[in-house]
Amino acid sequence: MARIKNVSRWLLGAVLLLAFDLAGRGLTATFALPIPGSVLGMLLLLLALMLLGRVPSGLAIVSEQILRLLVLIFLPASVGIYFVRDLTSGDWLALVAAMVIGTLISFALTAMMLQRLLIGSGKRRRGEHSEG
Amino acid sequence: MKAETLGAWQQWLAQLQQVATAFAEPLSVSHPLVILPLNILGFWFGLKIYRRAGTPILHPVVGGSLLVLAGLLLLGVDFPAYQSGSGLLYLLLGPAVVALAIPLKQNLQVVRRAGWPLMLGLLLGAVLAPLVAVFIAALLGGSRTVLVALTTKSVTTPVALALAQELHGIQSLAAGVVAFTGIVGAVCGPGLLRLLGISDERVVGFSMGVNAHAIGTVRALEISALCGAFSALAMGLCGALTALLLPVFVTM
Repeated sequence: MARIKNVSRWLLGAVLLLAFDLAGRGLTATFALPIPGSVLGMLLLLLALMLLGRVPSGLAIVSEQILRLLVLIFLPASVGIYFVRDLTSGDWLALVAAMVIGTLISFALTAMMLQRLLIGSGKRRRGEHSEG
Repeated sequence: MKAETLGAWQQWLAQLQQVATAFAEPLSVSHPLVILPLNILGFWFGLKIYRRAGTPILHPVVGGSLLVLAGLLLLGVDFPAYQSGSGLLYLLLGPAVVALAIPLKQNLQVVRRAGWPLMLGLLLGAVLAPLVAVFIAALLGGSRTVLVALTTKSVTTPVALALAQELHGIQSLAAGVVAFTGIVGAVCGPGLLRLLGISDERVVGFSMGVNAHAIGTVRALEISALCGAFSALAMGLCGALTALLLPVFVTM
């Protein structure tokens, strides 16, 4: 009996993921929204979970499984990088430089900015960030 | 019900049908029953190599995709045939994006404690990361294709793929840029922050999530659970925020 219950919970979770995906796709198409349908589905699910106040156990299990397989799911798209042909060598140079230098710059800037923002607010509310 | 809504669902059904017909075809080297195990093997070995090596440079995205490429070259399968053989995986991309809502919900309490500075930092970081990269590429004379691929560099791959489709970019290029960016961030990020004298684990984690998405989050988890939680949270929020803002900016 417990097994049937677990399977049905898992199925409910899987159906929920699919339903929110399809709802998102339908809504973005209907209102010609510029955002991807699955992203809207994610935001709707987040909103629903916040209203519900908890995560149904089946949904938690299914999502954990699918997120653990993420690399497998987008493997076909990743393999495609070796088949990209229509870029010039100048394009590749710009791409690599932007990725390496750009990432380091934005990384440093984000961290410095956050540091400053957090310290600024921490002075006013000292003692609140005692977790470690 | 409006025609556009039905159209979106019909498109999805057509994709499902394509997967089913690919399975019904006679067995060949590009049959799903060959391609899917190849993908799974590539992923599995990629993961093994990564766990043994323990360096972000050999992230399963890198090892797995190289192994699959080797398999394709051995079997003599071209990319379009490989893509249609992998149809089932493309179908799972949507639900995988939706599933990102769960870790986001579970980490949401962390935000409440840190409050508005974090949200402001997120907004600035999410805008800054693609802007800096696009600026550098534009200076070096990169084409529009390159610039579009760079705009999604710091968001997690499933969201980047959905965005690339939305912006009519090359999905594979976007996936490659995301993986490479994540590796650069995860390899150099913590050391860079140490040089800058930043040791607050919340700041380190959040910067990792905003700039190096899932690969950075794995690295952040090695530093500490708190660092990992902030990274996972930043990754999710940054993905959602970029997905909302970017299409508006690009179409302008």
